[in-house]
Amino acid sequence: MYRCTCSIVPRDVLERLAGDERFGAELRKAASDSARVSDVLRRMRNESRALLMHDMAMGTRPKPRISEPKVQVYNCRNTTALPGRLVTSPRRSADRTIKRAFEDTTSVATFYREVFGRNSLDNAGISLISSVHYGVKYNNAMWNGSQMVYGDGDGNLFLDFTLGNDVVGHELTHGVTQYTLDLEYSGDAGGLNESLSDCFGSMFRQWQAGQTVDQADWLIGADILGPAARERGYTCLRSMVNPADRKALARQPTRYSDLTPDMDPHYSSGPPNLAFCTACVVLGGKSWESVGQVWYRAMTALGARPSLDMPDFAEKTRQTAEQMYPSQPAVLAAVDKGWRTVGL
Amino acid sequence: MNQDSSIAVERLGGFAGFGGPGARIRSCGTLQWSQLSSDECQALAQQFTEVTSVEAASRPTADGFQYRITATVDGALRTIVLPEQSVPAALRDCVRDELL
Repeated sequence: MYRCTCSIVPRDVLERLAGDERFGAELRKAASDSARVSDVLRRMRNESRALLMHDMAMGTRPKPRISEPKVQVYNCRNTTALPGRLVTSPRRSADRTIKRAFEDTTSVATFYREVFGRNSLDNAGISLISSVHYGVKYNNAMWNGSQMVYGDGDGNLFLDFTLGNDVVGHELTHGVTQYTLDLEYSGDAGGLNESLSDCFGSMFRQWQAGQTVDQADWLIGADILGPAARERGYTCLRSMVNPADRKALARQPTRYSDLTPDMDPHYSSGPPNLAFCTACVVLGGKSWESVGQVWYRAMTALGARPSLDMPDFAEKTRQTAEQMYPSQPAVLAAVDKGWRTVGL
Repeated sequence: MNQDSSIAVERLGGFAGFGGPGARIRSCGTLQWSQLSSDECQALAQQFTEVTSVEAASRPTADGFQYRITATVDGALRTIVLPEQSVPAALRDCVRDELL
């Protein structure tokens, strides 16, 4: 952050004081020293302002100072009572599930802060609460409107759901969606809701690994598949680069025209997932740098739109790409290509 | 309610999208009305009375499970869909997850 350091006493006044023999030697020396220090401070201020103007011209901006939200982990101890028992030092826990939930949740908060300037799910520093060891061999993770919940998996179909950092990013993004678009969980809005969680969950995973769009696998849930699924050749839950991939446990449609209003949101998220992935791969670089910024701005600039449909969201991302990157037409072209690929 | 009649249960949704059109995983089970406690019987019968359509609960939990429950009620085959928190434990526990 660049701060203006303004001096109350002008330099010429200090110099006059320094040269006025009616004042004592000590006072005249103090005035002379002050004038020299003020000179240095003014040069530093001018250089700081020049640096700020350069950053603004380059399209970077000073990051606002945002404190880290509190991250809490609770242990359900294989019951379904929420939130469970508070873990006092999750960072140092010998229970790897607890430690992972804490570390990855903290990392997702850092991701949203550093990449998008967002202060937690509500952009106001709300605490992040996770409950682990929910139920018995529970093959699921979810956001219940107030917190994240993670099951251990049955060890056969699925492993511990905290093993997937994309899963953690996915669940937390449901919270972000709740505080921004507040999308319903059915129809087009439901598919968008799920897609935003897959998009930002995947971006988080890529960001943690420092991957480019070409290095990323664009798979959702690859790290939580159990041996029974892997033995049958499955590699993921969903594939953003090829939603109809036969190696995905939950294949999805690839065209918007294939969707029907009563579809499970995990099924209807296929087309917007493919649109996002395609836009990122066409543009190249890192997913969170440009296309991710467009998606974030589109998600956060509209206010609550519970029934937002995919055509409207697609149009919003096109408009946003043009507004955010007027001198980089490749960004709009990539976003447009993404949506045309799925028929929007 | 015929205590010997069966209740078919299918768990849907969740993070993995159980039971979706393209899903290769499903979670199903059956049990008899007689396997429910009297409170669970009453609660489930009440649900069949109050939930008049097959539509899922409004604003379901993101990535939460829902349960499609089919049973003969008052001589008619009925199907309802409930969020997990509304389903008696015995019904939740009767399903088994499997690969197709």
